[in-house]
Amino acid sequence: MKNKKYFIVLGLLVLTNLSGELKAESLVIKESLSDEQMILARRQADAQDPTRHLAVAKGEDPSVVNRPKSLLGESDIICFGRFAALVPKRAILQIPKDFGERLKMQPNVILQSWSDFYAANRGWITTVEVSRIQAEGNDPIAEEVKVQMSKCSNLIVATYLGGPISVLPLKVPVNKAPIKKTP
Amino acid sequence: MNTKSLRWILLGVLSSSGAYGQVTYANYIRQWQLPSGVVWDATDTVASAGSQLSNLAINPGGARFDLWTVRSAPLTEYLLDSSYVGTYVPISQIVIDTEDPFGKDLTATGPTPVNIPGRLRRTRADRSFTVYVTVSGLLSGATDPVAAKTVSFLRHTQSYGSGVGVGIDRTQATLLTQSTIGTNGTQILNYALTGLTGSNLKKLRGEDRFSVFSIADPISPTTLPAAQLASQYMQVWPVTDGSISGITSNQIVRFAMPALTISYNDIYPTSEVYAQAYKGERVAGRIGARIEGGGKINTGSSPTTEVLTPTKLDPIFTSDGRWTIELLTTGPFGTEYLRTASDQLAFVTFTVDRTIEVNSTVTTVE
Repeated sequence: MKNKKYFIVLGLLVLTNLSGELKAESLVIKESLSDEQMILARRQADAQDPTRHLAVAKGEDPSVVNRPKSLLGESDIICFGRFAALVPKRAILQIPKDFGERLKMQPNVILQSWSDFYAANRGWITTVEVSRIQAEGNDPIAEEVKVQMSKCSNLIVATYLGGPISVLPLKVPVNKAPIKKTP
Repeated sequence: MNTKSLRWILLGVLSSSGAYGQVTYANYIRQWQLPSGVVWDATDTVASAGSQLSNLAINPGGARFDLWTVRSAPLTEYLLDSSYVGTYVPISQIVIDTEDPFGKDLTATGPTPVNIPGRLRRTRADRSFTVYVTVSGLLSGATDPVAAKTVSFLRHTQSYGSGVGVGIDRTQATLLTQSTIGTNGTQILNYALTGLTGSNLKKLRGEDRFSVFSIADPISPTTLPAAQLASQYMQVWPVTDGSISGITSNQIVRFAMPALTISYNDIYPTSEVYAQAYKGERVAGRIGARIEGGGKINTGSSPTTEVLTPTKLDPIFTSDGRWTIELLTTGPFGTEYLRTASDQLAFVTFTVDRTIEVNSTVTTVE
């Protein structure tokens, strides 16, 4: 009995496909808007702006100020082998003479996060932890750190809690205390 | 100096260094301190998805968090998201909802829809959509700074021209409206159509962007510029059109069906276009037989164009009489009849007449 019903339904479907003379009740087919209807719809849409109840703000478009510009443009790249990492500009504190080529993008390198890249390149990269105030240029880097840096032949990157950070030029005058000469 | 670290949330992040086929991507989070301009690479402070307190204390000027992904070859950067936080900066969220469910979290049950992070919502040039703008943290005290009392709500549009919007400079977008929101809560804004403009309103392609910005804050010694609190955009794709060539209206087909060419322009993503035939004059709502080889599904994420030459027509047009072929599309906006580029419904009605009539006279001579 079930099979008989199935074949009747199947037969109707086949008949529909072959002759196209049966009308389906379930499918609703709409007509897309004509050009004229579309122009009318646009006029109505313009007249019914849903923000018309809000006060109009004046002034320049805030989206064109203080927006992210370019990560690549505001970063230095460090490359070695097949890998590279981006650090904020002013984060590299010291570049040894022979390492200039390593600060240029090489073809077909794979970008890595700083931690992955640094882990694989500790041999020639040294980090110097700075405070937020030092990064802002409101406090100088300690003299002993500077001495260590001057003796270091590695590329030196400033970090804050392990993440590369830009270090702005010093704003406060450095108190040059007289150096005591030890006998 | 405010030394409180603010909670910030990273959403929709790809894996930290994901490889997709031959192309590799690396993701970066940068914290921009305002107004000092110090930049900290915070990439390694969070997992590929989740939330974390920023370890770098935020100045009174606030900080902007930018989430970027960079493609290795060719070296290309994409800004995925940007958020500004500060001492008394309000919090905002924008959700765009369209009839096309692509990018929508269909499991969400709250009053405000939820979109899937990293996926763009999209709609068609002739369809309406809704924008949910939620603002919280606005103050109302007489002594509260202006920047804590109001935010700006902006609507921008940007045309893709004949392209699909890859690599466009979003600073070139057109500002349509700029309003002020001064109350906490969710505003539900129903837009009848995209704000894009053009000579053919059905063929617009581009994007509508909605953003909430803080108000510029005059604190000593400088004025902090307005900063983006939330921003979302949706893509707008043109209405599909189609045409049938190779047969003309009221043509009489004597023997085999002529070769047909069916063209479709701007097939909407995840939509199907097809041709159907039935016996008789065109009747709205009638379901006919689908013509084999006369349809296509666009499985891509941008509109496509197809030119098809269906075969096996004769098994459909089996009997003499009037027949109609028409073009349709079915997808997120339902099933619709297509129009031609010249705005006529895309159908053709013709006559099949294969009966051979022999006129003869028989005479006899007795």
